[in-house]
Amino acid sequence: MSTVIEVRDLTVAYRENPVLWDIDLDVGSGTLMAIVGPNGAGKTTLIKTILGLIKPAAGQIRILGQPYHKVATSVGYVPQRGSVDWDFPTSVLDVVLMGLYGRLGWIRRPGSMQRKEALAALEKVDMVDYSHQQISQLSGGQQQRVFLARALVQKAQVYFMDEPLQGVDATTEHAIIDLLQVLRSSGKTVVVVHHDLQTVSSYFDEVFLLNIRRISSGPVSEVFTDQNLKLTYGGRVAIIKEPTS
Amino acid sequence: MIEQLLGDYTLRTVTLGAAILGAVSGVLSTFVVLRQQSLLGDAVSHAALPGIGLAFLITGSKASLILMIGAGIAGWLGTALVLLITHSSRVKYDSALGLVLSVFFGIGLVLLTFIQKSSLPNQAGLDSFLFGQAASLVMEDVLTMTVVGGLALVVILLFWKEFKLLAFDPDFARSLVLPVRWLDVGCTTLLVVVIVIGLQTVGVVLMSAMIIAPAAAARQWTDHFGMMTLISMIIGMLCGTGGSILSATTSNLPTGPIIVVCTSGVVVMSILAAPHRGILWNKIRQILQNRRLRAEAVLLDLFDLAKQHETPEYPHMEEVLRVIYPQSGSLLRQLQGLQSKGLVMRNEHGAWALTPDGVIRCHQLIKERTP
Repeated sequence: MSTVIEVRDLTVAYRENPVLWDIDLDVGSGTLMAIVGPNGAGKTTLIKTILGLIKPAAGQIRILGQPYHKVATSVGYVPQRGSVDWDFPTSVLDVVLMGLYGRLGWIRRPGSMQRKEALAALEKVDMVDYSHQQISQLSGGQQQRVFLARALVQKAQVYFMDEPLQGVDATTEHAIIDLLQVLRSSGKTVVVVHHDLQTVSSYFDEVFLLNIRRISSGPVSEVFTDQNLKLTYGGRVAIIKEPTS
Repeated sequence: MIEQLLGDYTLRTVTLGAAILGAVSGVLSTFVVLRQQSLLGDAVSHAALPGIGLAFLITGSKASLILMIGAGIAGWLGTALVLLITHSSRVKYDSALGLVLSVFFGIGLVLLTFIQKSSLPNQAGLDSFLFGQAASLVMEDVLTMTVVGGLALVVILLFWKEFKLLAFDPDFARSLVLPVRWLDVGCTTLLVVVIVIGLQTVGVVLMSAMIIAPAAAARQWTDHFGMMTLISMIIGMLCGTGGSILSATTSNLPTGPIIVVCTSGVVVMSILAAPHRGILWNKIRQILQNRRLRAEAVLLDLFDLAKQHETPEYPHMEEVLRVIYPQSGSLLRQLQGLQSKGLVMRNEHGAWALTPDGVIRCHQLIKERTP
């Protein structure tokens, strides 16, 4: 298993306050990793910094052994659903096509080849029937699937997803998790900001516990303990263990 | 009137200029409105005023290109200052806009007054940039507007998909390592350019309307980005043309304000009446839908009542139905409505019964409503 994402001594600050402090992160290929931590822990900031959206104060980031801008076409990104205006006048297919803008290069417009790729991605999230829908008519779960399709069409090696399960219904949640596990089995690396502590163990291989600093990281079975969670959330939380019958 | 339009040099020039301005600002308008930067247009146009004064003071010329360059530089500096303020202090974006707008506009007014009171040659008429003076347009100005505006449109067409992504999801654009900062600067520069070419016609104070109104109206009529841009362009163009003809044919109405009033009229109409998004349209649809649901309820009640009898077409008196709807004054009207659709009929005793079509409709409704 080769290292795909490598972060060393990463520090990010807004004004004088550190938002991320001295973060080390290693993720291997074929890993499904959850980033878990309380509100304001810097989960989104971590992803955005790795993707070059935020300038770090210090530290090194390597993806597939290279700086991000050299491998950007091998990286897919699913931003938080709430980060865009869903009343924007555009269709589902158009949004998915945006995933191809990086590969298309300047001035060229997406053509029938690209549309075929986009439809194939929509197929994987079960949204082909909605391809010509205006995006404001979608439910939260459908919006999330569209964002996922936009990342899938990037045909990336590494995926970063910011709360893809936020506010989706149970059916969509399962569909998305199935999809993530398919990606993982085909050797992709998927890093997911995740909120629901109850499902971490069943969905993910590895977990990265974050609260401004790295609390702990590694295989879920070793790292995701009550002790570590208390350190992450400041002693106010425990996972409710399902009764074993 | 067409003869007059073609024959009259001033009218022809003004109409052409206003149409070009309307078209270009209409296109830019889409991006500004969708990026939620409407106030930026207002700040840029007000910030352009001191540029006009300074350009005249430095060169002593009133050539439109020189004044436009002055206005452009000042407008652009204003925008840069807004960004600088928001990035380096805790002042919020809207406050920074307001600050820059009023400070630059104030300086502009001081400069204009100074120029007017001075004995500089050739100084009359600069104040027309406040509210615009379309009648002062000459063919040369229109040519400049066409070239500059045309260039702006070409740039937008070339970087269409990049600008679109910038408007929809700038973070995602950045993750594709698109140079979002430069796209942003480019988009803002185009905005400055369009505002500057409109100053002579519409003026500093009203120019922001040309940047906001066409797209605000166009958004009501379509859910497609390209179509919205096209409609916005057409609205801008038609209002430009219409406004200048109106002001020329009616006694001495000022062109710029008339154009803005026309555009605002289109906005009001669009917000009220456009299908799907219009207020009136939605109201009417809601009323029709409620009426249909009430009528269907009556239909289904007749169906349920008849179940206790041997045939679904068993008649019932209105009084029986009234027991179910004690408050409804409109029961008779519902029944008559259903009757006119051939779903119910009234027999010789005045009792209401489903028709065979009505029975079929009831089965359909029940099927539709069972998940």
